[in-house]
Parts: sequence; C-alpha cells; structure tokens
Amino acid sequence: MEMVIRVNGVDQKVQAEVIKGLLWVHHCGQTFTVDISSGSRRRKKSAGSASDQVAAPMPGKVTKLLVKTGDLVEKGQAVLVMEAMKMEYTLKSEIAGQVMEIDCAVGEQVTLGKVLAKFKPKSES
Amino acid sequence: MARFSRIAIANRGEVAVRIIIACEELGIETVLLHSEADINSRAYRMATKAICIGSSATSESYLNIKANIDGALAGGADAVHPGFGFLSENADFAEAVAKAGLIFIGPSAESIRALGDKVRCKELALQAGLPLVPGYQGGQQEIDILIKEAEKIGYPVIVKAAAGGGGRGMKLIHSSSDARELIESAQREAQSAFGSPQVFLEKYLDRAKHIEFQIFGDSVGNVQHFFDRECSVQRRHQKIIEEATSPSLTDDLRRRMGEAACAIATLGKYKGAGTVEFLLQDGQFFLLEVNTRLQVEHPVTEEVMGIDLVKMQILTAQGDFVHDPRNLKFAKGHSIECRIYAENPFLGGVPSTGILGQVHWPEGPGRRFEYGFESGDEITPYYDPMIAKVIVWDENRPRAIQKMIRVLKDSVVFGVFTNIPYLLEVLSHNEFVMGHMTTRFIETYFSEALKQPVLSEVQKQIAAMAVGKLKFKQSSSGDSIPGSSPWASYWRGV
Repeated sequence: MEMVIRVNGVDQKVQAEVIKGLLWVHHCGQTFTVDISSGSRRRKKSAGSASDQVAAPMPGKVTKLLVKTGDLVEKGQAVLVMEAMKMEYTLKSEIAGQVMEIDCAVGEQVTLGKVLAKFKPKSES
Repeated sequence: MARFSRIAIANRGEVAVRIIIACEELGIETVLLHSEADINSRAYRMATKAICIGSSATSESYLNIKANIDGALAGGADAVHPGFGFLSENADFAEAVAKAGLIFIGPSAESIRALGDKVRCKELALQAGLPLVPGYQGGQQEIDILIKEAEKIGYPVIVKAAAGGGGRGMKLIHSSSDARELIESAQREAQSAFGSPQVFLEKYLDRAKHIEFQIFGDSVGNVQHFFDRECSVQRRHQKIIEEATSPSLTDDLRRRMGEAACAIATLGKYKGAGTVEFLLQDGQFFLLEVNTRLQVEHPVTEEVMGIDLVKMQILTAQGDFVHDPRNLKFAKGHSIECRIYAENPFLGGVPSTGILGQVHWPEGPGRRFEYGFESGDEITPYYDPMIAKVIVWDENRPRAIQKMIRVLKDSVVFGVFTNIPYLLEVLSHNEFVMGHMTTRFIETYFSEALKQPVLSEVQKQIAAMAVGKLKFKQSSSGDSIPGSSPWASYWRGV
C-alpha cells in the first residue's frame, strides 16, 4: 500500500506490504525487507549448505534442542526445532556423525544462515 | 492461404502474453496450452481459451510433443506458435505439428535441422563463406605438427581433448614458449581421462563480444536482416542485458556481418524470425550459432526498427508477408532490455520463489514492460526464473542507460527478490557505460554476491512506522493483504 511517512519533518513517499512476516518497503528507488517477527533487519548470510552443519533456513526462534554436544546422530535425525512465521520447522542432520558444537540456545532469535550446530562425520576418526 | 482463426500457444509466461497480444491485434483467437502450475498467470487470464496439457514438470507439459498437439487439436487451432525455449527449436515438434494438419509458426523442420545442429550448421557456414573460430581438428597428432598449427592459429590457443569435455584435458596456451609442454600435458590428460590422446586446437577468444543479427525470411523465401543486437553481458552463458544496436560495430563490420547472416539463412531456406549469433574480437567476427526461433531479446530490435516481429511471424506462416524492397531499413535511436530474474542478488543469485505481492511497473514514453505474472500470482520453482523484461528506448545510448536506471529504480516487485539491484550495478559500471564489455564482463567484475546495503536511519524509521500503519489498517479494515482475499481466485476464473 502507498503511504506517506514523515521522518524528521520530511514527508517520504513509501510503498509497503507485509508478506508472511516480512515487511517489504520501496522508497527512493530502493526495495528493502525487514523481518518484523524479530523487529531486526533480515540478515542474509549465505545459507551455508555444507552437510556437516545445520544452519537456520530462515530467521526465527529456536524452540527446542534435541541433541547435545558429544551425542551421536544418524543421518536425517532431528537436531532442533525452530519457529518462524508462526510455524514450526524441524532441522535435521544431513550426515551421520557426532555433534561437535551447538551454537544456539532455546529461546534465541537467530538470523538467516546462522550455523546452529556442527558435526563431525562418522567416517573420519 | 486462408487467415488463421485461432492460434495455439505452446509456451508460458511473458512470451505467451506477447503472442496473445499480437494475435488479438490481428483479430485471431488464442488457445493457451499450459501446465497445472500456470493457472495463476497473466497468459491464462488473457487467452481466449486455455487447455491444461499436463502437470507442472516440463517433461509432462511444455516439453511433451503429443500433449501439445492434442491440446492444439482439441482447442480447434489452425496453427501453433512455439515461443522460445521448450519445443521452439525442436524439428520433431515442427514435423508433428504439420502431420496433425496444423501450421507451425516458424521455419520448416528441415531448416531447423540444417541450422540448429552445430555440425551441419558449420558445413553450411563454410558453403556460405562464413568465418568460424579458427582451429585445427586434423588427425595428425605429432607434437611438432600441432605446434606449427598453433602458431598458424595465433596465440592464445586453447587445446582440448577431442573425446572429452568438462574442462579435463583442456589447456590454455599463451605463447610459443609453453606450447610444447602444454600440448603434451593435454595429450597425457586426454589419454588418462578419455582413453584417447587425440586433441584439437582452437583460437581462444578472451575478449570477445557477443553480437547477433536478427534475420527474417518472408513467405516467398526472401531473407533480410534487421540489424544487430549486442548481448555481451552474460552470466554462465545466460544473457542479462541486451541492446540494439551494438555500440561496437563500425558501418563496414555491420554491413559484412549482416550480409554473412543473410547468406547462411538463405542457404538454410529460412522462413520466419531467426538469429545468427557471432563472436567479435579485434575487428574479426566468427559464427557462433543460429537460433531458429524468436529470441527473448527481440523487443530491442522491434523498438529501433519500428517493426513487430511476432505479427510478421504469424503473417509469414499465413503466407501473407513479403519484404518490401522500397522500405529503407535503418535503426533509430537506442534500445536496452534488462531481464528481471526472481533471485536474491545478495545471496549470489539463488532463485527466489513465492507469491507476488505488489507489483508496479513505471509506465512512460519509450518504456515497455513484458511480464507474465501479476500481484497474487505464484512464482514456482518449476521454470526459468525470468519473471519479466524491462525494455527502454531513447534517442541515444547514454540516454537509454539513464532511462533504464530510473525505470528499474521505480519498479516495485514485492514477495520475491529480484536481480534489480544487480542490474543497477552493471548499468552504472564504467566498462558497460563505455560500451567496452566482453562476454567475460560479469565473471571479471561481478563474480561475487552483491553486498547487502546497510539500512539508513531514515529507512529504519520508515520501516517501523510502515509496520504501525499497516497493522492499524489491517485491524480496522480486516484484510488488507492483496491476493489473500477469498474472492481473488474466484474472480480470476470468471
């Protein structure tokens, strides 16, 4: 929707819309997005798809940790649960191995692409 | 030949819309042959009739010859327009269309085979006297003979495994001092990778421009060209920005390349719209390939020539179009096209899918927008990420670039990310502005993802207040998000 927003006494012409928890704004020749579920700027780190880690596929809140450091995991085993845009997402390990590091806590807001857990593949000793 | 009363469109997206508009203006009805996924598209809403020919996977719908023919017959069409991509350059499809008693809007199956096949096209090129990239493909593999051939071609030369591909057994030779070592190394690699030490040599074009000529064969077999386009701005062989005419051609080159393009098309008995692609380096041009169809970037030619290639295609297929020799051809002004891809430029161009929110294209003189999807439509992961094309025309190239930058800045696409920020960077790059870009322009200057700009204080305040306004609107009027109204899909079907 088109709107006029006054900032520091200047009227700014803006188009804005919320789609699935993301605010889209077009202003002064530029489109930008803000994740309004966390209120912070949506950070787009390259979503690391390396198989020895689990990264946040979207910005959201960690609601459950299902493993701890040192645990052995199977390929496809659920590792943690995230919530974003009012939906739950279960993140799974892509490999069989051991949990080396967990880099988040229950209740934490994480940004897109943040590495949440790292694994050591089983075959390596 | 009688006039067509209904044309089937074996395509989707913006090109389907383009064809529908041409048909409407000629008073011809249309039947859109579409997949399940494309019910939410502009072409579906615009076509006189629409027939779903299969599921979303292209192999089940847009690439399925039988499904398309059955659909065209069921829809009562007398001709089929294949658009570009999908079955447009498939000789078997052209043949099947004819066998079903319908007319294929494009060249004959024989022309597609003669010009579309790389080997046969090269034979025709030799007959027509067209220059090919210089090389040596002979059987004599003694190292001294190969070195002599490399010298003849002129460095840099690339040596490639005859049996291979994918970069193995491929070496770039910069000078005669390392020729022996690199050729022998390539032979060894070729032996171990492909079981044959056979190699061939080709001139390496390291600063070539992509220049192509729009050709058109009329109903009686006259072939003319409609000048050139430059499409050097490519990423992984995918064109991003195209323009007409090329800023790099002298009058003499333009004349010689145009004659060469017409010569090969005439030999291939070409009918309808086609494109002859060349590489140009240091004032020398070489044939790359011939595309036997309408091209994505055809609008820039239409803008500078004042013609309508799609209508010309339809009229030619009807037997109604003959080039008028009294029409003096000249290109007027300059036109640029930018392809809008649904991708995230800050993530290195990963595809972005989703339902389109607000979409706004800033209309104005010399601005043209070709799009297949509107607010509320879904950009699905099944097809090409190109969602629209923005074309501008102005009196000269600097003004056209300036206009394109303004138009892209004022274009609004919500719901999926687009390459617009990336295009703006390219359009402002000195090498592009000067017209010096080569096919390696993107890999040289734009190989990495764009850096996400940091939000300014003003932008942060705007965002915070916009959220407040949108929430207030939503709570006072119920539902304010376009596309989510329960009636939207109902009205669309009416």
